Amino acid sequence: MSVHNADVVEARPAGEIALVDLLDRLLGAGVVLAGDVVISLAGIDLVQVRLHALIMTVRAGMDEPR
Amino acid sequence: MSEGRYLYAVTRDLSPDAVAGTRALGGSPLEVIEHRGLSVLVSTVDLDEFGEDALRRNLEDLAWLEATARGHDDVVRFAAERGATAPMRLVTICLDDAGVLARLDDSYDQIVQALARVEGRTEWSVKAFAPTAAAEERATAVGAGGGAAYLRARKAAVEGRRAQDEAAMATAEELHDVLSRLAVASRRLPPQDPRLSGHEGRMTLNAAYLVDEADGDAFAREVERLAREHPDARVSAGGPWPPYSFATLEDA
Repeated sequence: MSVHNADVVEARPAGEIALVDLLDRLLGAGVVLAGDVVISLAGIDLVQVRLHALIMTVRAGMDEPR
Repeated sequence: MSEGRYLYAVTRDLSPDAVAGTRALGGSPLEVIEHRGLSVLVSTVDLDEFGEDALRRNLEDLAWLEATARGHDDVVRFAAERGATAPMRLVTICLDDAGVLARLDDSYDQIVQALARVEGRTEWSVKAFAPTAAAEERATAVGAGGGAAYLRARKAAVEGRRAQDEAAMATAEELHDVLSRLAVASRRLPPQDPRLSGHEGRMTLNAAYLVDEADGDAFAREVERLAREHPDARVSAGGPWPPYSFATLEDA
């Protein structure tokens, strides 16, 4: 694996954020409003969510014949 | 079918006219709610897809997660190109506009502070990776030489690896120190799981830097210089991005 695609889950156009980097930020940072917002992500283990979703896909991709 | 209001970002001075004709998640029109000098970018979403139960399911679906993250990022970038922008966390949803306004009032001072912090600045990502395989390979190669030789080789390999790890961590600290001085603010993020990022070796640095727009080129050049200065560490950089890591609200 080359250095240049070592940290991307899939190839993206130049300048675009790799999904794993985007999720670091969209799930780990950003403005969080308190109060009676309908959706409370506090109840979800985000690390687990993204690990689960992404690992399933990465594994599925690796199992495919090339 | 019940609907909610999906919040993408808070900005200033963005009028409803400025987003006319722009589409957001699910193809819904992007809208602006103006309130006390703030402009919130929102769109209507179906709670059958974005309600709490649906989200638990959908967040586990990579295709859905990626489409939503990309759609969110598209709107954040649209806003960031037009002025100071504080991105919301993914899937921040209110029942109606009254809920949006109430939330804005609750966090008004902190949002204003966050916008002031990121104005005229962008985020850069820098990562460093250390090789991990070399020491183990040496131990295996010498392993055939018999008991005492094997133990000596193994001890040397363990010590070698420890020295290599310490050197890699020292390099990461140095990169971070130098780059932090060029940045207005910096944050260390947890190392990424190699199963997600596909990287080889150990991620010794996963950091975000808030950099003045005028200093962006100088920052990128400094990353390149540091990468040349530390050929043992693999260094990668990304940016300029919207200031995702730096628009967090301080505790009230």
